[in-house]
Order: sequence, then structure tokens, then C-alpha cells
Amino acid sequence: MERGIVPSRSRDNHEWLAALASSGETQEAALADLRAVLVSGLQRGLAAWIDPHSPQLETLVEEASQEALVRILGRLDTFEGRSRFTTWAYKVAIRIALTQLRRKQWKELSLEQMLEPRTGEGGEPSVIDPQAGPEAIVEQQDLLARISRILEEELTQRQLAVMTAVALRGVPMEALAQKMGIERNALYKMMHDARLKLKRRLAREGLKVEDVMATFEARNTAGGRVVRREGA
Amino acid sequence: MSSFMDRLRYWISAGRRPSLALSPSAVAIMSQQIASTQEVEYSCDDVYRLLDQFAEAVLRGEDAAPWVPLIRAHLERCPDCRAEFDALMRSLRVAET
Repeated sequence: MERGIVPSRSRDNHEWLAALASSGETQEAALADLRAVLVSGLQRGLAAWIDPHSPQLETLVEEASQEALVRILGRLDTFEGRSRFTTWAYKVAIRIALTQLRRKQWKELSLEQMLEPRTGEGGEPSVIDPQAGPEAIVEQQDLLARISRILEEELTQRQLAVMTAVALRGVPMEALAQKMGIERNALYKMMHDARLKLKRRLAREGLKVEDVMATFEARNTAGGRVVRREGA
Repeated sequence: MSSFMDRLRYWISAGRRPSLALSPSAVAIMSQQIASTQEVEYSCDDVYRLLDQFAEAVLRGEDAAPWVPLIRAHLERCPDCRAEFDALMRSLRVAET
């Protein structure tokens, strides 16, 4: 080891930055240390998403850590020192790894396929548990029709499709945004605008969101499932 | 005349926009999202900028920073950012031990 090179465990933020911004063996040693830090961090961090013993994890960790090193080197000046340097580096690597993972997992689907309802979704008969009582059923049906009308009137078809894809079917925003040709941040803002619009409209209509939620909560709808109308 | 035009508009728009058939559980989920909506929310970029600092604060049991509620609220709403936070915590927790 070159004299003056600090092992990774004892590097503080300033030493990381100085070593990575230097050149020659000092920089190479720091890069090697940082790569090792990122690889072990990604292996632990991604264990909930990929089998820790799978070759896919190894490939993903390798690719993401390499890309992260390049990105980190190019953005050293954006590190503001508000956390440990390695925590910041983990954050960069994890964003890269999970973005890659989501895009790979959803790459076979087109945007329209991501947005289209699953078979049977939305086509369920809109009838609540008959045991809720006839008055409750009528109330719930009326409210359901009202909410559906508000959604139709306030949101574009695309906004509604995006919201239901994310909220109901768990389509990752990252994968969706990529297919839409926008950044995830822009997609979040679009969804925020849509939610705000709906919230204001509900308020204008005198509907309390809490009441709507209570009416359709899982306990009122046979565990969240719609009960098929007899004879339907 | 106007009623004819209204009907025409209605049929044209009805053809373009199929009627919604949301299930009660779907309405409940959408309502939950609307209920938690705030005028000012952190975006994914805002959260990403602070995520490393936030994760360390959580590990130290600190909760005092004024932006903490905004980050927590975003993580409740955004599954993508939530996944990144969870992964970061996993990396840090094991590294700490």
C-alpha cells in the first residue's frame, strides 16, 4: 500500500473525497475500496428483492457498482457532507441497482400493457357484501357511482390509468416513467397534481375523504373483495 | 339544437372514454391516497437528495428535522422511493453490526 493511503474503514468524508479526487495509486486504492464497500452494501441491500445466492444478484451488483463508481466520481462536488460518504455512495448505487432491476423486470411490457387493467379488474360487480344491509348497499353503490363520475370528470384517461396502475397493480413508477419517456420525478408530480385535483373536487362536492374511505374499507366490503350479486 | 349537440358530444365522448367500473376496494385505495394528499409534498428528487441524511437520522433515533415528516409522508405514498430507503437501511444496519 502506498504511504499515506488510508484504509477504507478509517477514512472520514474528507479523506474519501481527497483520495477519490486525486490521481494515480491513491485514487485507484480509494476506488477499489469504494467498489468493495458498494458491492457488499448492495448484496445486503438488495437481498429482499433478489435471491442472495442467485447469479442475477451477482450480475446486478457488479453492473450497478461499476456504474455507481463512475457516477460518484463525476459528482463528487455534489456531496454536501450531511451524511457519511459511504452512506451517500450506497444511496447512489441503490438507486442505480433498483432502477435497473425494475426496468429489466418490466421491459417485456409495453406502456399500454402496463396501463391496461388486468383481466377482471374493474369488471367486478360493484355490489358490496349483502350482509351490510340494504341501506348500506344502496349508500355504497351511490357513492361508488359518484366517485367514479368524479374520477372520470377530473382526470384524463391517461392520468387515471397511471394512478390505478401504480396504486392498484403495483406497477413501479420507475418502469412506467421510462416507458412514458419522462423522469420518475415528473411522474410523481403528475400524480400529485391529479390527487390534489380530486381532493379539491371532493371538498367542493361536500364529500369527506374519510367518510368515503370508511364506507369502502375492507371490513365493509367482505375483506376488500366484492361479493358477487346473486343471479348476476 | 343545443340538446342535440349535447347528446352528440356525450356519445362522442362516451365512445372515447369507456365508463369506469371501479370496485369498492379500488375506491378505498384511491381514497386513501387522496386523503393523504398535501398541498406541498416532497417529490422523488427532494427525497433522494435527503435520503442518506434521513437514513442515518433514523438509525440514530433522531426525528427532529423539519423535513422528516415530508420525507415520511412521501415514503408512504411512493413505493419506488420506499424500496430505495428500505434497501439503504438494510445496507447500513448490517454494516453497523
